[in-house]
Amino acid sequence: MPAHPSESWDLGLCLLSAQDPKSSLGCADILYLMGWNDMSVSITEQLPHRRMEAWKWTDVRGQTSDKLTGLSAAGLPKVTAPDGVALSMGAGQSGDHVMSKIAQSFAPEAVSLYVPKGVKPAGPVEVTEIGRGHSRIALMVDEGAELLLIEHHRADSGAFVNMDVQIHLAKGAKLTRVIVQDDPDTALRVATACVSQQTGSEFNQFTLGFGGALTRLETQIYAEGEGTHALLNGAYLLDGQRHIDMTSHMRLKQPDSIIRQSVKGVVFDKARGVFQGKFHVERPAQKTDAEMRHDALLMSDRAEVRAKPELEIYADDVECAHGNTVGALDDSALFYMRQRGIPLLKAKSLLIEAFLVGVFDDLADEDLRGSLTDKVRGWLEAKL
Amino acid sequence: MLKINNLSAAVDDGQKTILNGLSLEIPAGEVHAIMGPNGAGKSTLSYVLTGREGYDVTGGSAAFNGDDLLDMDPEDRAASGLFLSFQYPLEIPGVPTLTFLKTALNAQRKARGEDEMRAPEFLKKSKAIAKELKMSPDMLKRPLNVGFSGGEKKRMEIFQMLMLEPSFIIMDETDSGLDVDALRIVADGVNRLRSPDRGMLVITHYQRLLDYIVPDKVHVLAGGKIAASGDADFAKRLEKEGYDAYAA
Repeated sequence: MPAHPSESWDLGLCLLSAQDPKSSLGCADILYLMGWNDMSVSITEQLPHRRMEAWKWTDVRGQTSDKLTGLSAAGLPKVTAPDGVALSMGAGQSGDHVMSKIAQSFAPEAVSLYVPKGVKPAGPVEVTEIGRGHSRIALMVDEGAELLLIEHHRADSGAFVNMDVQIHLAKGAKLTRVIVQDDPDTALRVATACVSQQTGSEFNQFTLGFGGALTRLETQIYAEGEGTHALLNGAYLLDGQRHIDMTSHMRLKQPDSIIRQSVKGVVFDKARGVFQGKFHVERPAQKTDAEMRHDALLMSDRAEVRAKPELEIYADDVECAHGNTVGALDDSALFYMRQRGIPLLKAKSLLIEAFLVGVFDDLADEDLRGSLTDKVRGWLEAKL
Repeated sequence: MLKINNLSAAVDDGQKTILNGLSLEIPAGEVHAIMGPNGAGKSTLSYVLTGREGYDVTGGSAAFNGDDLLDMDPEDRAASGLFLSFQYPLEIPGVPTLTFLKTALNAQRKARGEDEMRAPEFLKKSKAIAKELKMSPDMLKRPLNVGFSGGEKKRMEIFQMLMLEPSFIIMDETDSGLDVDALRIVADGVNRLRSPDRGMLVITHYQRLLDYIVPDKVHVLAGGKIAASGDADFAKRLEKEGYDAYAA
């Protein structure tokens, strides 16, 4: 598997330049660089914090206390794989992301999954019991193979969870990744996926997140081949003082790739949603066709949404667009529904569900799509 | 059935008075039309009666079957039988038409203490009404009103009305956006609902609709109150002579 290229870029320390580490780093960052696998530096000091641009709205260090269980321990998620998928423990692939490195220092062994050339397993790989601690998964989908990966992120109460997923999609490989994050509001979770895509590969991701004390679900995509497809959709639904951060960074290096991204959020009470999205289109990546959308509804005066959509484009023949909206439910629509006899709370719940679940429309597995909708509906019924 | 007495209402946080001492009584079994110039308060009347936020009642009363209408939430007014066919029906993205209507119908039934309508019965009824209104079954699967033309939205209002079978119907400029053929289909649907225990208030700027839905009484709304009343022929005279004589 090819290693991810080393370059420095502004969305965090995912890829720090080994040649010139001091060029764009502050003191705290250097401390992190020196300390990431040095056990004399406490784990807390290695964690990313709000003075780092990519973490300015998600202060992992600031929110982490020694009381969280699993902070300095390896976690052991349960992974079930269907026939045709090889499952083993191994060193795995090392990642350059700040949280990947921390995961490596606490979990030297990764769960390795391999889908051989052309294999299309009948069932999904399911990852469950990601309840506490640091864990790593390395997945390789070989040429022309296909896989459905389902991750259930549900933490123990008061747990710290850090999961690192390294994914490699070979030529023509296809992966659909479905993430359901449903933590207690006392848990802190960071889940980071780095995905490299070779020519003609397809990556579809659907995320449903309910936040936690602090939740960061991050996806890094490196489209290294031509004509790759990526769909990166997500929905978040928050209340209380929950926090979720959906961050993504996609780097396109070759021509003719297509990216579609739609993230939608609904935030009640004093909760906070964060969306950071970046498309980085390198000069050779002509004919890139990329769209990024983030839309959020604020359900209270004290709810908060922070969004940073970014395009960084060096190719001149591309179609790239981004849009971001933050608003409230439409009063006229609510009145219309009430005039037909639908009680106010039910009307709200119908409108919110309709707003959110559209991001799952492209999920081919109907049962899975239904179960995501049911989760949204169940949450709304309990809330409203 | 509907008794409005000396009703006054304002918008813009009470700053702008729109209705100014309006009185009107519509007994069960009758169809009344309200005509009048633009800006006379016709749509405001329909919103005040159905309880839209932003329309503040500053005086008077409105009773529906003896109950104080103005004290009820919009959904409770709907459950008690009041239906407004909107001048500009709203688009409800992501909510399929039949899901919307089934939710509405069963919420109303629940509020009235009735049993829910089961899916097979609901589907059978919706198919029959769609056929009557010459609507394609496909329209019922689409999100409510999304991407519909003005005329299709109006037809959808009538579809909802026939499905919900309200006891009192307010139609706000239902004819706008309809061509003659569609107007006839819509009017047939409305006329089918005319019955001794159902009342209707037809708000219209033009007399045309009243050729198809013939009213028992016609009122002119001007200056926030009923300025004149007459029979069905009165509408024809109004069309010819205009509303200048009733301008406030």
